[in-house]
Amino acid sequence: MEYAVEILSLTKIFSDWWGRDRVYAVDDLNLQIHHNEVFGLLGPNGSGKSTTLKILLGLLYPTKGKVLCLGGEAANPKISARIGFMPEESYLYKYLNARETLDFYGRLFGLPSKVRKMRIEALLDMVGLKAVANRPVGTFSKGMARRIALAQALINDPDLLMLDEPTTGLDPIGTRQIKDLIIELAKRGKTILLCSHLLADVEDVCDRIAILYGGKIHAEGKVKELLQQTNKRQINTGSISDAAVDKIRQVLRDEQADCVVTSPMDKLESFFVRTVAAAQQNSSSTSGAVSTTKIGHFLAPDAHPENILDKLVSTPVSREVPSKSPATRHVVPLETSEPKADEQLLGKLTEQTGPAESKPAVKTKPVEPETPQKEQVKKNILDQLTDRSSGQSVNTEQTDKPPAGDPGNA
Amino acid sequence: MHSIWAVATNTLKQAVRMKIALVFIILLFILLPLMGASMTGDGTLKGRLQTFVSYGFSLTDLLLSLLTIVVSVYSLTSDIKQKQMYTILTKPIRRFQLILGKLLGVILLNVILLVLFSAVIYAIVIYTPKFYKAGPDELAQADNEFFTARAGLTPPEVDVKQEVMDTYNKLEKTGQLPIGVSDNKMASESYIEALTQTIKLGKRAVVVGHDLVWEFNNVKPFDPNQNLFIRFKYDVSVNPPDLQVFGKWFVGDDRQVKYATGIQTPIYTFDRKDLIRTFHEIVVPADAVAEDGYLAVGFFNVPLNNTVIIFPPQEGLEVLYKADTFTANFLRAVFLILFRLIFLACLGILASTFLSFPVAILFCLVIFFTGTVSEFCLESFTFLSRNLSSVYSYTIRPLVLLLPQFDKFSPVKFLVPARLLSWSFLAEVAFSLVCVKALLLLLAALLIFRYKEIAKVIV
Repeated sequence: MEYAVEILSLTKIFSDWWGRDRVYAVDDLNLQIHHNEVFGLLGPNGSGKSTTLKILLGLLYPTKGKVLCLGGEAANPKISARIGFMPEESYLYKYLNARETLDFYGRLFGLPSKVRKMRIEALLDMVGLKAVANRPVGTFSKGMARRIALAQALINDPDLLMLDEPTTGLDPIGTRQIKDLIIELAKRGKTILLCSHLLADVEDVCDRIAILYGGKIHAEGKVKELLQQTNKRQINTGSISDAAVDKIRQVLRDEQADCVVTSPMDKLESFFVRTVAAAQQNSSSTSGAVSTTKIGHFLAPDAHPENILDKLVSTPVSREVPSKSPATRHVVPLETSEPKADEQLLGKLTEQTGPAESKPAVKTKPVEPETPQKEQVKKNILDQLTDRSSGQSVNTEQTDKPPAGDPGNA
Repeated sequence: MHSIWAVATNTLKQAVRMKIALVFIILLFILLPLMGASMTGDGTLKGRLQTFVSYGFSLTDLLLSLLTIVVSVYSLTSDIKQKQMYTILTKPIRRFQLILGKLLGVILLNVILLVLFSAVIYAIVIYTPKFYKAGPDELAQADNEFFTARAGLTPPEVDVKQEVMDTYNKLEKTGQLPIGVSDNKMASESYIEALTQTIKLGKRAVVVGHDLVWEFNNVKPFDPNQNLFIRFKYDVSVNPPDLQVFGKWFVGDDRQVKYATGIQTPIYTFDRKDLIRTFHEIVVPADAVAEDGYLAVGFFNVPLNNTVIIFPPQEGLEVLYKADTFTANFLRAVFLILFRLIFLACLGILASTFLSFPVAILFCLVIFFTGTVSEFCLESFTFLSRNLSSVYSYTIRPLVLLLPQFDKFSPVKFLVPARLLSWSFLAEVAFSLVCVKALLLLLAALLIFRYKEIAKVIV
């Protein structure tokens, strides 16, 4: 089993009623995805991304060629037990509530009821739908339904996660959360296949991408290699004086190079996330989904797929209480002063979330004495997101990736 | 198994929460008691009970059949159309498990509703005599002719073929055949046909001063202390002035007389005067039946009559006896409905594997209503295929035979005349309707669904 996903000269022809070939949805496609890789399948509408994904999952049959997921066919229950799939839209049973929906999918996996209950609570907590868990899914907004769809894809702690347009219909916080989740899951050894045409999302999280058009791959490779402009360099500094800038210009002129000096802009996404997070801590409730940055504890890195069930079952329920404490973490920030909010939320966003047991330690974070200034905070966000320490004033590191989230590869 | 069960319970939830089942449930809960209160039949207690059971069962049967069709078709087609299939089939569940789960869910729903409604019907039937202040005569009539499960035995048809041929040959030898009969094939055939009718009639006719004895084996009364019923109808060659004929009947084990073994079981005699061309019943204590289930019924045409008495074919004479309790019969009738519903569930699921919701519903309804008039269909196709080519009878006829024969297995046909619905008959229906026909449908559904591309063409 060399590859997590292997596609061998896959062709899918949709023919009309008379059997005449009508459309080549996928045309002689070859693709390999390694284990523990975040792979992005890009392409404009109708380029065959979804068709490829559906053939991989056994929902469509290939006209020619072969596909292998985790070394076998996805129709095989042993293989599909290790796959998580989130379709491009949330196809849920309207009459079930959120908890029942997850319970239904959990039962399809044959999870014992104890494990099922625990995972459902953890997932509801993670996608921020705990408060509305007893409402029929039919009454959910699109974004909330997306969150349930995400939760159902994760209930079996999959080794291979296939996401079809994962961020459509989600608010920026949800988008951010999914991206963080992808990075987090990749860190934990999962393989992720992502189909999207939202390029920013793909760029932030993917190791490797392939661009599909007309059912054929037109470009494939590592994001770094494809996007790096090797003939240019970028220097990021702290706030330095104009004199220093002039000096740098002088140096560069000696090198026969030109340069542009500006103050870097914050990403709108980061700004939005911060603003809403602050508002969330002030107002107590929303009828919609609550954004969280939690990751279901059963998806923890040290939980090997072989023994996760045993572990979860053998753990007495009373001992699970501390690991469920993320629910209480929401309450803590309310008692702290406001300026710290940004720091804390982003700390959570980028924290190297350890195993579930270590989580309660996070609680003490807001009590830390230093209160960073507003200006500093903004820089801290960027620094933290790019995994740099806040103390560094000048960083000459080459930035070939936008700052939003590279902790997985840094 | 866990995945089949998960799908089944989900299907059940769907039927209940989408309010499909609710409509039918409410309708039945209102209609059944209303019918129990308003139906009077012919005015007697028995008539009242018979009408209620007839309409109540038919209504329950019809509504549950429709419900089964709707639920089984809706459940699968909506999952395919609304694409919940995408998330289900990518989980560790085989496609056949999904189909079986859906089927199990629909059957579970049927069992629950059937238990509910048959309990309601049963309760109304049992309590009707108490609410309706019936006299002792009416109560006795209801007990004998409604709250029972009577088995009916008709005398076996005598094989007259040999006798006909003998007679024909004898006539041919002696030259008594009409002119032109012996050398024209068609004429000889129709002559033999006529001869057969005459000889058959002879077996059922009793000339004045003669007797006719019918022998029955396997008479197994439920309780020897109760009664047998000899149900008969006279036909005559010459109408008597008052349209009544005399008759002397013997009921019992006539071998005791024939072989002079001594009397162990009683032989009962009855002298009667009855109206012709209507049904009459003679009540005989059940101890007339011999140990081994043998019973002979003899009729003597007394000279007073002055006419030949003929017993019409099929319904001329029948021995009825209580073979089981009403409750047991009722229970089996409910099973009969359940088998029918299982068949319809399989049909609905098969239809929804390759048709969209409205078309599948239409398809199922056509099969359902054809099934309720299956005897008519079978007869007409048999008649047609006799005149048409053999190709016809090899293509359409098997298909017609595959139709469910709902009218043949109608529970009302047994409960209203209080006829015994035997376990063996039930097993026969279970075999043909569930084990053969429903299973074939299910296998076809599994096969189609196995190779179906679930995702729609999106390019």
